[in-house]
Amino acid sequence: MSQPIIELRHVTQRYGDHTILKNINLTLESGKFYTLLGPSGCGKTTILRTISGFNQVTAGDVLFDGQRINDVPANHRNVNTVFQDYALFPHLTVAENVAFGLTLKKLPKADIATKVAEALKLVQLADFGNRAISALSGGQQQRVAIARAIVMQPQVLLLDEPLSALDAKLRRAMQSELRDLQQRLGITFLFVTHDQEEALAMSDEIFVMNNGEILQSGSPVDIYDEPINHFVADFIGESNILPGKMVADYQVAFNGQQFECSDAGIPANEPVEVVMRPEDLTLTTPAHAKLTVTIDTQLFRGDYYEISATDDRGHDWMIHSVNPAEDGATLGVNFRPQDLHVMRLHEKEAEFDARLETYEGTEESSRDQT
Amino acid sequence: MKKLSRLYLILVFIILYLPILYLIMYSFSQGTTMTHYHGFTWQHYRDLLADPRMLAIVANTLLVALLSSLIATLVGTLGALSIHRTSKRVTRDVLLNLNNILMVSPDVIIGASFLIFFTTLKIPLGFGSVLLSHIAFEIPIVVLMVLPRLKEMSPSMLAAAQDLGATTRELLSRVIVPFISPGIFAGFFMALTYSLDDFAVTFFVTGNGFSTLSVEIYSRARQGINLEINALSGVMFLFSLLLVGGYYWLQQSNQRRKRKRQGAAS
Amino acid sequence: MTKRKTWLYFLPYGLWLALFVIAPVALIVYQSFFNLDHQVTLDNYANYFRSGVYLKMTLNSVWYAFLITLFTGLISYPTAYVLHQLKHRQFWLLLVILPTWINILLKAYAFIGIFSQAGVANDFLRFIGVGPQQLLFTNASFIFVATYIQIPFMILPIYNALDDLNPAYVNASLDLGANRWQTFRRVIFPLTLPGVKAGVQAVFIPSLSLFMLTRLIGGNKVITLGTAIEEHFLTTMNWGMGSTIGVVLIVAMIIVMQLTNDHEPRGGAPR
Repeated sequence: MSQPIIELRHVTQRYGDHTILKNINLTLESGKFYTLLGPSGCGKTTILRTISGFNQVTAGDVLFDGQRINDVPANHRNVNTVFQDYALFPHLTVAENVAFGLTLKKLPKADIATKVAEALKLVQLADFGNRAISALSGGQQQRVAIARAIVMQPQVLLLDEPLSALDAKLRRAMQSELRDLQQRLGITFLFVTHDQEEALAMSDEIFVMNNGEILQSGSPVDIYDEPINHFVADFIGESNILPGKMVADYQVAFNGQQFECSDAGIPANEPVEVVMRPEDLTLTTPAHAKLTVTIDTQLFRGDYYEISATDDRGHDWMIHSVNPAEDGATLGVNFRPQDLHVMRLHEKEAEFDARLETYEGTEESSRDQT
Repeated sequence: MKKLSRLYLILVFIILYLPILYLIMYSFSQGTTMTHYHGFTWQHYRDLLADPRMLAIVANTLLVALLSSLIATLVGTLGALSIHRTSKRVTRDVLLNLNNILMVSPDVIIGASFLIFFTTLKIPLGFGSVLLSHIAFEIPIVVLMVLPRLKEMSPSMLAAAQDLGATTRELLSRVIVPFISPGIFAGFFMALTYSLDDFAVTFFVTGNGFSTLSVEIYSRARQGINLEINALSGVMFLFSLLLVGGYYWLQQSNQRRKRKRQGAAS
Repeated sequence: MTKRKTWLYFLPYGLWLALFVIAPVALIVYQSFFNLDHQVTLDNYANYFRSGVYLKMTLNSVWYAFLITLFTGLISYPTAYVLHQLKHRQFWLLLVILPTWINILLKAYAFIGIFSQAGVANDFLRFIGVGPQQLLFTNASFIFVATYIQIPFMILPIYNALDDLNPAYVNASLDLGANRWQTFRRVIFPLTLPGVKAGVQAVFIPSLSLFMLTRLIGGNKVITLGTAIEEHFLTTMNWGMGSTIGVVLIVAMIIVMQLTNDHEPRGGAPR
């Protein structure tokens, strides 16, 4: 494990009676793509501003390369930001915008020109240097903002919901472009978003936040497959969440039946919640199924059908299926033991990680201690 | 209906321009009255150019206008920056209201109160008092022209500049001032016209030795018709046209430059 | 930025506020309590309220300012409205602004010629059969010239208000079945009222103090508050009484501001 580039230790932020950040601990390693994911107002942008130097925390330490930087002003930190509204200077051209930081450093003119050209080439705007900012499309402005930040060769690039102003198609294209850019530059990206799809697509590691706390951190696959609680399961992807009770290790009961599952380390008879992803459920004939449901409605999503159904106990189910079902039909639902994920109520991330360690072994080595 | 409204508009424009054209027409008329055109002559313009007192007053007027506008622009811009930086709403509202007092006060009040002020401080009336008065009543208009541009500036743009390493001084010189420069320019321009236009304030604080064009026209007009004034108005009208034209051209060429850059995109 | 530096930036502007805004207003109020012999007294105010001359003069001045504002408004609103519908309206608007750049005294001077016994105005009256009249040095000529001078300052804020009006409101009104006149009366006019108020502010207050017009055009028959102040300050040298009338004018100004203030003044007072 390499030396962490950014560390937040016990960071708390209060405005009057309002607590924005509650004892945040977070470690970023060099050269990885991180995402802070959470609903608006959860404190993710405050963390970003804390790292960039626009926010003074109430308590705790901010470390850069092992040095405490709480009191270093924004213009002296080797960290740059891509702002949500891009914040390009309207009175300067594209090239002048990108050169802005370098001219402040009083670099020789020739060096600046080379670096600006390189940066613009990197974001595929090589011929746009002389344009006015107002002459660019949203996607192009986005790229200029990125070029302006990366030309400073920061060790960490902070991105504050940079894709939120773009239309859906462009957003998808920019996702792979950003990921590609990060891998080519080899620097740390910290990306802030409320869009779970963006987070899952791009990140090496995601921090899921709510109400000023980091609820869970891990790789996109870990977080998607093993959400720590109801909030995370609901916030990331579609899910069916049902109340249940642990029977024994690898055995859970819900809907009046007992099912095999892949979770352990929970005391018997403890009330739990069970998560099943809609795409893990398959429709079949009632005779061969674990559950029976009645189809209510379905929406065609292009690559699959989103089917809403109700079971005989009145719980709503969402099932993704490549084939349509008939409204009002009674069908069976099947799933495998590994498709069930059991969540304890009020379990903290550390306890969750420790419990997983006890029965999943070395598989979890990629998980970081936070 | 449409024809009627056009007719109305034409009538209003005739009323607006008739007196001005009337003035200029008689500047080319022989004789000494503004009644019945007596044939073309340049005589009044020659008289004007041969009138050393009038020429000195023109020079004085221009000097006061330029000097006062420059100083007012500087102070007003600093004032707008200070008002903009004020985070407390109450303080800002108080500052803005104080700023606007001279904007809405009648000229006589400004003139009379400045006269008391200069007399109390024993500042002699003349060039100095006129210059100070002009600077004083020009500052608020500069503030009002600069403030909207400051408000348009997004906070994240300032954050971006700091993020890229700008110090406070560089922030001001590289980002804020270039961004608000159209407002500063417009403020300077407005200050200039306010100064050239002013009569009442100058009339109060000018004393005996010093005069500006407005005051001179007033004292000559009280003595009756003098076609040299008509010639002067011809010159001033031309000057105004040139100023308006120049201002308009500057704005247009600014936009053209912008459009040229934008044109490259499509 | 350190606290100290900020303070330095504010210094020139703050000095201006203290010396040229607060001090003069304070001085004029202070001065109004002195008589000709530099003694502190309330005589000026007593004089103002007891002798009918000053009160009558004030009423007169307010009445004339009201008429000037009214006529200006009646002429300017339709002008701004028609202007706003034109194709090259920016150009026409520039033509409205241009006369404001001609020195106000030159415009007043022009009317001395136009209204004279043998001037065009009388030529016109002779032509339509009314016969020559004494035009110069009458109340009517004063109101006419003042209105002429103020028109652009009323057109501009109304034009701006019309420009700010979202055309969707007009379309919505027409869509809901209102005719053109109803749309104007119930949608356009109420929504452009702030512009009218700004115009009233820009015209009414200066109209109380147009002393050069009363001298050049009104022939001293019309005495406005402005004329009285000028006379007391520069002719009779009774600064105390002049300041007292000044205080009255300031109070009148505050009242007008309160009545018309839901909008920041756009262009400011004409000079």
